[in-house]
Amino acid sequence: MGEFDFLSRVPLGQYVPTNSVIHRLDPLAKIIMFGALLIAITFTPSRAGLGIGVAVLFIALLLSRVNVGFALKGLLAPLPFLVIIAIIQVLFYSSALDPVMLFSIGKLHITLAGVLAGAMLLIRFCALILCLSLGSFVISTSELLHGMTRILNPLNRFGIHTMDFIMVIQVMLRFLPFLAQSAERIAKAQASRGADWGGKKKGLLNRIKQVVPMLIPLFTTSLRRSENLALAMDARAYGILEHRTSMVEIHFSWMDGITVLISIMVSLAIFLV
Amino acid sequence: MPPLIQFDHVTYRHPGSDEASLPALKDISVTIDQGEWVAIVGANGSGKTTFARHCNALLLPTHGQVLIDGKNTTQATHLPQIRAHIGMVFQNPEDQIVATLIEEDTAFGPENLALQPAEIRERVATALATVKMSGQKSRPPHLLSAGQKQRVALAGVLAMQPECIIFDESTAMLDPRGRQDVLAEMQSLHSRGITVIFITHFMEEAARADRVLAMNNGSLAFDGTPKVLFADFGLLKECGLEQPSTLLLLNEIRRLNPQLAGLSTDFEQALQHIPQYSGKFVHKALDDEPTSGDTLIAVKSLNHTYLLDTPLAQQALFDVSLEVHSGAAHGFCGATGSGKSTLLQHLNGLYRPQSGEVRVGPYSLSDPEVDIKAVRRYAGLVFQNPEIYFFEQYVGDEIAYGPKMLYGNESLARRVKDAMELVGLDFDKFKDRMTYTLSGGEKRKVALAATMALQPRLLILDEPTAGLDPASRRNLHSILKNSQEKGIELILSSHSMGDITELTQKMTILSNGRSMRTGNTADLFNDEQLIEEASLGQPSVVRLASAMRARGWPIPQRVVKAEQLFDALQAGNGGQTHG
Repeated sequence: MGEFDFLSRVPLGQYVPTNSVIHRLDPLAKIIMFGALLIAITFTPSRAGLGIGVAVLFIALLLSRVNVGFALKGLLAPLPFLVIIAIIQVLFYSSALDPVMLFSIGKLHITLAGVLAGAMLLIRFCALILCLSLGSFVISTSELLHGMTRILNPLNRFGIHTMDFIMVIQVMLRFLPFLAQSAERIAKAQASRGADWGGKKKGLLNRIKQVVPMLIPLFTTSLRRSENLALAMDARAYGILEHRTSMVEIHFSWMDGITVLISIMVSLAIFLV
Repeated sequence: MPPLIQFDHVTYRHPGSDEASLPALKDISVTIDQGEWVAIVGANGSGKTTFARHCNALLLPTHGQVLIDGKNTTQATHLPQIRAHIGMVFQNPEDQIVATLIEEDTAFGPENLALQPAEIRERVATALATVKMSGQKSRPPHLLSAGQKQRVALAGVLAMQPECIIFDESTAMLDPRGRQDVLAEMQSLHSRGITVIFITHFMEEAARADRVLAMNNGSLAFDGTPKVLFADFGLLKECGLEQPSTLLLLNEIRRLNPQLAGLSTDFEQALQHIPQYSGKFVHKALDDEPTSGDTLIAVKSLNHTYLLDTPLAQQALFDVSLEVHSGAAHGFCGATGSGKSTLLQHLNGLYRPQSGEVRVGPYSLSDPEVDIKAVRRYAGLVFQNPEIYFFEQYVGDEIAYGPKMLYGNESLARRVKDAMELVGLDFDKFKDRMTYTLSGGEKRKVALAATMALQPRLLILDEPTAGLDPASRRNLHSILKNSQEKGIELILSSHSMGDITELTQKMTILSNGRSMRTGNTADLFNDEQLIEEASLGQPSVVRLASAMRARGWPIPQRVVKAEQLFDALQAGNGGQTHG
């Protein structure tokens, strides 16, 4: 009965604390590692590169000790869309270089190169999704924030207050599960009063009818909550001094250094092979 | 040395409100010294929170001035010191946690004060240890219980090492145990010399402070010791307050029997010093066991796991079994996290049984073909703090939403009118009022009417009196009793033992997702060991009754209500010769 389980649909903050080798890395190293992999997988032109990328991802997945089945389940939801895109790619691919014709349907010519390009596209997107979800499994939101703080730190020298920016993101991340929970409670409260949630009727129009009365309480509760949160932050002296400090100190070890080095090299390899 | 907090003729108007309307604070002058323990009481909307927010410069006075340690709050240069010296714990634990990990949230304040990392870590560790949350320091806040969140919020304030902590209804959303914890925490802070100011709707709690401020319509109506306030019935009534129920009990039994006239007004002391009974033993029989009719609800071996099939899965209900019969209002009792809400949400089909069985009236919820709307019409559920989820502008429309969905437009106005009458809202006076202009008690009534308008056979209420002031709480009790007499079956969960003893005849005690026992409310509350195991507190009437029984007083076994105790005493007096 997943009708009201909004929380499980929030993709962010799905941190899975298994305390693996990857989890124990410095957040900065993790962000660089996944960032580099993400860029390499996105832009690599070669099949071999993509192959290496997928292999590296699986090694990372095994190292992270996250349940492989659970990680792959994240691919199921977008898969139909990806398949459709891949089919379109296959049908409309045209390349003069390698016209190995497999068969034709009317004006559509299916070429070997087209099929390969479709497959590449499918694999590339799956790898990207896997890479992103793996990142969210091993980088907790707080680590993400600390990592970002350090990446953005140089900007402070130019008089840009990165602290406020990080705080905005932090509050947003904190709010996401809350929004999901509020939505859940509102939907339940309305269902209890005869709204169609959890009933048999499906369909777009019904969906819209369900959502509209939800938006108003969702807005008002969010506004009220953000007001309260702002008060609580004020009461705890936020923003009264020019600079804040952090309880977390930087511990960038040689292990992290090596990881960053390896991940950059692997990414280059993916890109250049 | 200047006093810690000094209000000098402070008047405050909400921005945008005109001169003609009542100000939120009206000409308040008061001084609070270092090390005091002060309770602030008053009806919903009497200005308690507005007052508290002036103490740490979250609000600034419209007229007059507030001095903290002699420093005027209007001067921005004083802010860092004021915020560091005066901490505040808010009502809703959800709203004050900023970071995505407990530990980092505790660090938030010290980080804002730009302390050194090593010192911040030390303060965080100490603060979390003080509130006994060290074991949870790397968990995300949204997975904690309300009581735990409130302790985390307190840790965040403690880490700033303030001189004074203000608790703004910080116990309102907690169960009795959580409330006791927070109160004990206040006591220990107070004994360490920290000034503690707390706002509360629970007179029991206010009675523990050294000094009470009572607010009424923005004015300071009383400033003195709890003893004096709770002896002034006229003032209490005027402010919409009441005596603490323990004091009420003691006063009444002292009046009823001369042997008890010398008892202390301190409840714990009185329990210790009840004299041995010397009168004739007259045993007044209580009413027979409540007769129960047909089975309304049958739950068998119900299990429920949140986020099933994910690594975050968390089992909330384990093998829960119970039956609810018609004719006896049924209560669900248990500490936070005991699974009350999850169970209630199974009773109107919001959740279907993952395993086990739930039958509600004629409907089996395991049956995938069951008409779920019919179930919800049969068993109306009112959520905790239902007024948060209002989405219509006008009272009438809000109440009409449900019947319109279920029954269409036919005789809609009559259904709305009937429902409003049931909860004591005048149809013509209230139907065109804007929902947000209502008082806390009125909003709760609208929410209740919105469910009553579905004409359910069962009315299920999750924490019906949470956040209400004493007068609104009493009012709601009589509404619910009234509707029970009109044939609506009541099922409710509550942290307030008063709700359960007042309103229910039967109850189920839940603990850690398991159903411990179902039985007569009176019998279960008298089982001291069971109540202790479920992390609940025995109602004060029950404690007093059993202390008296132990000294030979003719008090029947199943006393749970104050009137029953008084009746028994009076019956005893009838045959008694004073010695």
